[in-house]
Amino acid sequence: MPEVTYREAVRDALSRALREDDGVFLMGEDIAEMGGSMAVTQGLLEEFGAKRIRNTPISEMAIVGTAIGAAMQGMRPIVEIMYEDFLTLSMEQLVNQAAKHRTMSGGQLKVPLTIRTQGGAGWSPGAQHAQQLEAWFVHVPGLKVVFASTPEDVRGLLWTAIHDDNPVVFFEHRTLYPVKGEVPDELEPIPLGKARIHREGTDVTVIATGRLVHEALQAAEEAEKDGISVEVVDPRTLLPLDEEAIVASVRKTTRCVTAHEAVTRAGFGAELAAIVQHGAFDWLDAPIERVGARFAPLPFAPVMEQWVVPHAADVLDAVRRTVARA
Amino acid sequence: MEAGTIVRWLKSEGDAVAKGEPLYELDTDKVTQEVEAEADGVLLKIVISDGEVDVGTTVGVIGAEGEDVSGLGDGNGASPQAAASDAPAAEAPTQAAPGTTRAAERPPEAGPAPEAARKPPAEAARAAAAPSPPAAAGERVKASPLARRIARERGLDLASIAGTGPEGRVIAEDVERAAEGAPAAAAVAAPAARPQAPAPPGEVEIVELTSVRRTIARRLTEAWEAPVFQLTVTVDASELSATRERMVELMREGEAKPTVNDVLTRLTAAALMRHRAVNAHFVDGKIHRWPAANVGIAVATPNGLVVPVVRDADRRSVQEIAAVRTDLVSRAREGKLQLADLEDGTFTISNLGMYGIEQFIAVLNPPQVAILAVGSIEERPRVAGGGLVVGPTMTMTLTCDHRAIDGSEGAEFLRDLKLFVESPALAL
Repeated sequence: MPEVTYREAVRDALSRALREDDGVFLMGEDIAEMGGSMAVTQGLLEEFGAKRIRNTPISEMAIVGTAIGAAMQGMRPIVEIMYEDFLTLSMEQLVNQAAKHRTMSGGQLKVPLTIRTQGGAGWSPGAQHAQQLEAWFVHVPGLKVVFASTPEDVRGLLWTAIHDDNPVVFFEHRTLYPVKGEVPDELEPIPLGKARIHREGTDVTVIATGRLVHEALQAAEEAEKDGISVEVVDPRTLLPLDEEAIVASVRKTTRCVTAHEAVTRAGFGAELAAIVQHGAFDWLDAPIERVGARFAPLPFAPVMEQWVVPHAADVLDAVRRTVARA
Repeated sequence: MEAGTIVRWLKSEGDAVAKGEPLYELDTDKVTQEVEAEADGVLLKIVISDGEVDVGTTVGVIGAEGEDVSGLGDGNGASPQAAASDAPAAEAPTQAAPGTTRAAERPPEAGPAPEAARKPPAEAARAAAAPSPPAAAGERVKASPLARRIARERGLDLASIAGTGPEGRVIAEDVERAAEGAPAAAAVAAPAARPQAPAPPGEVEIVELTSVRRTIARRLTEAWEAPVFQLTVTVDASELSATRERMVELMREGEAKPTVNDVLTRLTAAALMRHRAVNAHFVDGKIHRWPAANVGIAVATPNGLVVPVVRDADRRSVQEIAAVRTDLVSRAREGKLQLADLEDGTFTISNLGMYGIEQFIAVLNPPQVAILAVGSIEERPRVAGGGLVVGPTMTMTLTCDHRAIDGSEGAEFLRDLKLFVESPALAL
């Protein structure tokens, strides 16, 4: 199996979808000649032309609104929102339009729209350019929400998202673009709503998303040296969510840590904790621990930014607390 | 349930009790179970120490330490409700029977201040750093949900277990350790396991009937009054065995291993849904036809026969039935069945195949109107296609209550069941 970067894996899924279906096209800011702010769409203009790789004005509301219209007319638009912080500008279109039309039309309309976006700390771009806002969208019935953490997952999940007949908000993490991983020669679609167990363990389950999957795996290595066996589960799709796999894992390990880069308060970890306490109440041997960012706007100063967001050490501390002896 | 027998109290007068802690053992006509306290406080008074009591009788009083309860509970059975309303904020008469225990909820502040609050900080910190001793009287026991469940299942008192978790929390490991070191406590949950002195040689041994045995005697005598008839079929069990073997092969990790009886339970449920007359109760001269097949499975236990119920067997996969059955049978053998496990059965399967019994007649399990007696699967000669073949063969006998079911109805049910056993796919 060839090793490719997360960035190449995203591009591969886009190229294949563009080749396979004339109804698929891309819209976004600077995605054509420039190849996107993260260089994900580099080379696509040359292969597919300006009609299908479309630069847009700087108006997220207009981009998403246009794409919704195209989707309802039978196309499969893929929108790139440069930074996920800017998703806030398209909230009306996403929350009140894209998410609602299928239901409100009694199924007569569908919105096969994929919104790709990226964010996350690591480059210190400041408070307005590095947030993790995935939890906002998990709260909206009618949307699907994906957060992929590996090259193999990002390709298989993006393919499925593009071919889903519902609007999917697809989160990528900017620090993951250069991460390499093996992906099969043939693109294998990954169903939405299926968690991945990255590492099996018996003492505590860490449910992690995005960058924190990698931090959790690192924490698990460290914990193993202390004789603590950590299971790392990545839900991959936040909505729909593989509750069964999550509950089964915690029933096995009897302890649970949730981990994401977004702020802890009302983050996706809160939803996970609620599901786990209900589904595995009689199996829990310790309070569920949540790992996330401190409740603060992200600072510009790199050292401060790193202090605000969680790392492997924070996951490890949480793991240790769950197995703690007084 | 109308009455039960208090076997013994697990707490003494003056003991602190926490909500959810086992208070006394109650023997009912179906099961022996521990009744839990429904409030925190002190067991101020035991009104009825043992013996049979009617549901609704005040059997004890939980309240705050030092409260005067001399007036409570003496007019036993007269007006327990009144006793409860006379003392809304303080005493809580504990009434017999699960689900009817009443208690006044009181905030913990009402009691003496918790120990830790009065300690100087340094001492409190030390206390947190060492395994904390078992909770003092009146203190709430800190325990993880898992620890609570294990303690409940093994009949252990959490208050007596030292916690090694953060802030002295009792965690699963502590309970496991306590369980190992306390075989006596485990035996408490299963009174039948108490060793009995062997009868001296030459003397007749007289055995008192346990409550379960007494119930079996009474109910089966009742059943004997029903005019019954039996119908018998012999079936080709090759497909039944093959289906079960295939399911075992496909079993995933962590799943219960399906038995032939699990498959048969599913097939019987399917047949029952097609013949609702057989899936019924006969009560007070009326026939109650049930919307779901709740199939009872006869289980031999050290205490006698019990029939836990696989609810909604018509809507469950064999895999689910296997999981439910595994749980029910293991709890039946440990004497840990709850009333809910035994109620609402609409039909019973009794299988003595494992003892090599080829065929037998089962006695009705009232108010159910039919019961199936299943024999062993054995290689037997059978006529098929004009010749003699040898293959897995099984005989089933249906006992029917003729007040509710006619011969033709029973026969049609049994004909379909035979069809399903021989071609399980037809039960779809």
